Amino acid sequence: MSVTELNISPVGRVEGDLDVKVYIDNGKVTRAHTQAAMFRGFEKIMAGKDPQSGLIVTPRICGICGGSHLYCASSALDTAWGTKLTPNALLLRAIGQASETLQSIPRWYYAIFATDLANKKYADKPLYKEVVKRWSAYVGETFQIGLTASGLPVQIYALFGGQWPHSSYMVPGGVMCAPTLKDITRAHAILAQFKNDWLEPVWLGCSIERYMEIKTWDDMLAWVEENESQRNSDLGLLIRAGLEFGLDKFGQGVGKFLATGTYLHKDMYNNPTIEGRNAALISSSGFFDSENYHEFDHMKVSEHVKHSWYGNQEDGLHPWDEPLPTPMKSQTLHDSDFDNQYSWSKAPRYDGHAAEAGPLARVIMNANPNNKEHQIRDPLFGDIIKKLGPSVFTRVLARVHEAPRIYKFIEQWLSEIDLDGEFYVKPVEKDGKGFGATEAARGALAHWIEIKDGVIKNYQVMAPTTWNVGPQDGNDNPGPIETALLGTTIEDPLDPVEVGIVARSFDSCLVCTVHAHDAQSGAELSRFKL
Amino acid sequence: MANVLWLQGGACSGNTMSFLNAEEPTVVELITDFGLNILWHPTTGLQIGDQVQDLLKDILDGKVQMDILVFEGSIIQGPDNTGTMNLFADRPMKDWIKELSEVAGYVVAIGDCATWGGIPAVPPNPSESTGMQFLKKNKGGFLGPNYVSKGGLPVINIPGCPAHPDWITQILVAISVGRIGDVQIDDYHRPKTFFTDFVQTGCTNVVNFAQKVDGGFGTRGGCLFYEVGCRGPMTRASCNNILWNRQSSKTRANHPCLGCTEPGFPHHDLKKGSVLKTMKTLGVFPKEVPEGRSKLAYYMEAGFQKILPTNKRVQETSK
Repeated sequence: MSVTELNISPVGRVEGDLDVKVYIDNGKVTRAHTQAAMFRGFEKIMAGKDPQSGLIVTPRICGICGGSHLYCASSALDTAWGTKLTPNALLLRAIGQASETLQSIPRWYYAIFATDLANKKYADKPLYKEVVKRWSAYVGETFQIGLTASGLPVQIYALFGGQWPHSSYMVPGGVMCAPTLKDITRAHAILAQFKNDWLEPVWLGCSIERYMEIKTWDDMLAWVEENESQRNSDLGLLIRAGLEFGLDKFGQGVGKFLATGTYLHKDMYNNPTIEGRNAALISSSGFFDSENYHEFDHMKVSEHVKHSWYGNQEDGLHPWDEPLPTPMKSQTLHDSDFDNQYSWSKAPRYDGHAAEAGPLARVIMNANPNNKEHQIRDPLFGDIIKKLGPSVFTRVLARVHEAPRIYKFIEQWLSEIDLDGEFYVKPVEKDGKGFGATEAARGALAHWIEIKDGVIKNYQVMAPTTWNVGPQDGNDNPGPIETALLGTTIEDPLDPVEVGIVARSFDSCLVCTVHAHDAQSGAELSRFKL
Repeated sequence: MANVLWLQGGACSGNTMSFLNAEEPTVVELITDFGLNILWHPTTGLQIGDQVQDLLKDILDGKVQMDILVFEGSIIQGPDNTGTMNLFADRPMKDWIKELSEVAGYVVAIGDCATWGGIPAVPPNPSESTGMQFLKKNKGGFLGPNYVSKGGLPVINIPGCPAHPDWITQILVAISVGRIGDVQIDDYHRPKTFFTDFVQTGCTNVVNFAQKVDGGFGTRGGCLFYEVGCRGPMTRASCNNILWNRQSSKTRANHPCLGCTEPGFPHHDLKKGSVLKTMKTLGVFPKEVPEGRSKLAYYMEAGFQKILPTNKRVQETSK
């Protein structure tokens, strides 16, 4: 097959706007560029405003992970102001963060990811008929159950935050709410409904406890074949169809992973400090370089802008040192000069490396043998990453693997809330610098704030999508999705569903557009109607 | 049966996420039981690339009927009115919207960004964002003050950050079952059925408001109007009538109403001392008083109640 140009604009099913240019030679992607195509300037809006503006503004950066932004915004102020956080406050923040992530698993899986497996590309596969029956958009049997059940975890969020999305109930010093017995009992009941409607009968085909016994990839394969119920569950089908459809064969990425960690332990972060954060995490932070684990240090994070549409900024600055963004003139994908600036996204790097953020990064950190007693210690994805390596399949499996564990956490944390205890300790406002981070459903999220003269001097947000869809850095090294597209076989240039599947396996918070160009000359060749 | 096209501009997807939480009807029921045909939606649409572009062109050419255009997110006009800060399907989104609004049966703006400009339009408004037919309280917006769709209505505004799923689905149902004639809109183009009463109506702390019992963060009972900036008495919305996620509301969870269904949101443009705090005059008197009250009368009444509360019982709380 000759070199081909594809032009897909847009590829939907996520939020925002992303264009991707891929060069295809003999059916394989040889080069790829990502282009974030929308700019709103939230960091600029917050400058000069009330220090608590982040609590209102940043959840509105992303309505899908707004609660995660709130977790970061309140944490950044906690460290800047030196607040006190009671066990109840830490539990209620963790419950909110976990509920948002739990919601996202069925919602993302059915509405955004699995419908692609019903693409006609896979029509010759034996499991295709079953996939179509269950996962076709709107009409699929379990699509309907899963999408409807995804509204339940955020009902728990609403009990404590008033509503989901877009609450501001986490504030420096704790939380606004002081739940009563009826809120706790109701939350337990809603959680059980989520388990009984979807998690156990539809998704797992077994009890949560049975699923959580799985420790290795071999265990996982044996679990699938253990009985009809597990084999025919949606997870059983995902594993069987995923391997049959070859999802484990493409979309590898940079092989380096970053997690900022989340869920601060109720008794270990009562005097929040940036330095004390790593040790207090339940879902641990870290950087995995494909062989070794490294402790996470936010000072090793930098942002590159050589290929981004911002001026007045040198490359590779730590967020505290970065100026507010100065937007430059942008171009359409067609007119972009990829040797220069071509995206609204910046290129974050950890210790100089591009790193993948997301559930896969999280479950790899959970397999870190150095994790403490209070941290998640789950060896499964240490084994899977060794045996299968990263791929679309590994990434999706990591995302859905979290549901049973998060379920158990929410149940436990609800039971630990002390209804006679304190929920909020009013802080003293002062100038200073702060850092807050969490794991949004789709990966590492961090906020940096500087307060001066009682107003925000600088606010910098680094979202998981920035890590994943960021363009090339100052040394022209590509970002994770740019890298993950390399080598992808485009079976049918008339329907390059593989490109969409790679992008969606990251749950990139953007809408994708794909152009393909002659690998030698860079010229656009022809356009295919898709 | 109604054909719906849903697009997003300077959006966060919050309204889409809210929409997916809908329960009566659910999104699935909206499609299977109410015959709503979603021509395309950025989160759930199956068509990609040129299929979407062709669909948009077919709508503009009159080959496909678009009964409802739903728009989420601000209209991004920057930089310098070029709209290139928000490109969609190879051209500025604002250019698509201008043309699509001319052939739409009804245009429904969902969420604060699409209705009033929302947070992206807070000064210095780096993306030159505006709402579809308003910018903040000023009528005009992107489509101009005189715009009416083919169905004879101006843009129907369903504000909120986000809009409640029922507000969205019920307007879509009203159109699809032929009840659009019953939809009345107020001066800000909001359907009166959801935006006549104040958030305070149905608030479980309304007795504490009347008795001037002050609340605060992390406590049970007490009213959030006096210190932490609750805008429930000045905000028209049915949050305490049609609950959120079927469970609660901001004020029921001890969260001050942020006034997000009113065109000033975020109020006072986030200036120092305005976020989650009650702005005061002379350090004591709330700058804003409940809608329809004279300031002096309100301050006097509040003073009396503070000194001589008529009902101390409201201060008791249970866990």
